[in-house]
Amino acid sequence: MATTDESDGLTPESRSGRELLEGVLFASPYLIIFGVFLLLPLLIGGYMSLFDWNALAPAESTFVGLENYAQLLADPQFRNALVNTVYFALLTVPSILLVGLGLALGVNRDIKGQGFLRAVFFSPYILTVSVAAILWTDLYSTQYGVINYYLGMVMANPPQWLQSRLFAMPAIALTTVWWLVGFSFVILLSARQSVPEYLYEAARLDGAGTWRQFRDVTVPQMRGAIFFVIVINLIWAFQVYGQPYVMTAGGPGQATETLVMYLYQAAFNQRSFGYASAIGYVLTAILVGVSIANYYLLGGDNE
Amino acid sequence: MSEATADQGRRQEGVESSTTTGFSTRTVLVHVAMYGAALLFLVPYAYMISTSLKTPEAAVATGMSWIPSPVTFGSYVELFATSQILQWGLNTLIISSTTTILVLVVDSMIAFSLTRLDWTGQRYLLALIVASFMVPGFVNIIPLYLVIAELGLINNYLAVILPFAAGPLGVFLLVQFFRDIPYELQEAAQLDGFSNFRIYTRMILPLSKSILTALALFMFVWSWNQFLWPLIVLQSEAAYTLPIGVVVLRDNFTIQPALTMASAVVASGPLFILFLLLQEQLMTAVEMQGVT
Repeated sequence: MATTDESDGLTPESRSGRELLEGVLFASPYLIIFGVFLLLPLLIGGYMSLFDWNALAPAESTFVGLENYAQLLADPQFRNALVNTVYFALLTVPSILLVGLGLALGVNRDIKGQGFLRAVFFSPYILTVSVAAILWTDLYSTQYGVINYYLGMVMANPPQWLQSRLFAMPAIALTTVWWLVGFSFVILLSARQSVPEYLYEAARLDGAGTWRQFRDVTVPQMRGAIFFVIVINLIWAFQVYGQPYVMTAGGPGQATETLVMYLYQAAFNQRSFGYASAIGYVLTAILVGVSIANYYLLGGDNE
Repeated sequence: MSEATADQGRRQEGVESSTTTGFSTRTVLVHVAMYGAALLFLVPYAYMISTSLKTPEAAVATGMSWIPSPVTFGSYVELFATSQILQWGLNTLIISSTTTILVLVVDSMIAFSLTRLDWTGQRYLLALIVASFMVPGFVNIIPLYLVIAELGLINNYLAVILPFAAGPLGVFLLVQFFRDIPYELQEAAQLDGFSNFRIYTRMILPLSKSILTALALFMFVWSWNQFLWPLIVLQSEAAYTLPIGVVVLRDNFTIQPALTMASAVVASGPLFILFLLLQEQLMTAVEMQGVT
């Protein structure tokens, strides 16, 4: 790194030349890693998705244009994975928002043991997905599971959670809510705590009850945080992989196979790299769509 | 939303304000709800720990006993004796520490360049990095796999470390923070003949300790918990990380919850200790994501 001891003696041009040089030097370690491991793969992926990719001899791959994408539209397994992923998102995103908001508003009140409660609700988030999934697989077990042991006391035939087409996905969603809600909870709690108290006092002076205060003060004031929570959970939900991989392996049948699972299978089991890249690009398009929608919604909020 | 609910709300408010001493019903209800929820959140942990301390037979017995009798550490002993879990723990530790350090160095350098130095092109670069937020890690796995394979890094720690050393999150958080450090300080240092490198190491980094700690913790936990990517690029059992190891173990020892839960305790124990010691900093990192 050059020293700038005598910067006073320099002409403005050479000083700005040096700033540029130093600026680039400081930025370069990041930029190299960013370029090689993020931008480059992104471009390669787009390129590959246009080929019937030969994994063993890439040079002999055949150009197929948009055929991979056309094939996706007609592929029932892709459609199934897409539907399952959307279903998973519908089950988890609203639940995480509502549970997270409920817990945040509860903990925000004048309650004993606030710090303890905050730690408890956040804690599952620090588990790895495989531990969370293994743990809940055992809780759901039909032979020795805790859940059906207690359900068995009140009903004759408790569901066979992970073996059932109907219940497998909701069971995975419940696991996910427990595992991830802590993140959203912390963000919502911090947003709630930064709502100025005088707004509530003013609302009370106007005779607003709890519900009106919630609707007219809390929700509008927390709008940014609520949108953020929705979007980040949508992005996570569309990339769901670990929970179904560990808990059901996509079954029963293909009832819990998700987009990323299908992508993984197409790439690493069937070696259809071009086709899998096309799945990746469609997934990216969906997520970019979600992010852009968020940007406009938030943009409207900031004005 | 309806008028009726609004009226009800007003009536409830009236009830509360008339209770001047002691617990109002509502306070009691909130406590019951929150502690009830906390209990539900803790049940899985109770199951995990209790089962890991049971004999193999007691762990699969129908009916639920929360307190194991007899308490045995047999599953832990067997786990350490028959699996490579210690090796996996070491792998995970090396990978997450290296990733964390690399992220701190590389991200703080570029954030310094983007905020404290003045050169054309900064704005476009920041815009590019922010835009890359939208590219989710998972969708890049196939081409990234090819790049890693081409570099000869399959089964190498670097395959897990490098791709995550340039995430946009850290840059974004640090840029926000560095911007708020007064520029007068920097000018004074420049008048004293400090080079930019010294300003970076002696001034900006020490002033940013709080955010660097929060970012470090977040990255460490995140990196420790990675699952899909290590699963793809780490192909020999000796190279596995804990998150992969516990799944492989479960598949090898079918229906042995005591052993599986012991491995889950071992895999998450270190993070829980870290969490108990440094929860404020970790939650700060999460809160900052919500703010940015």
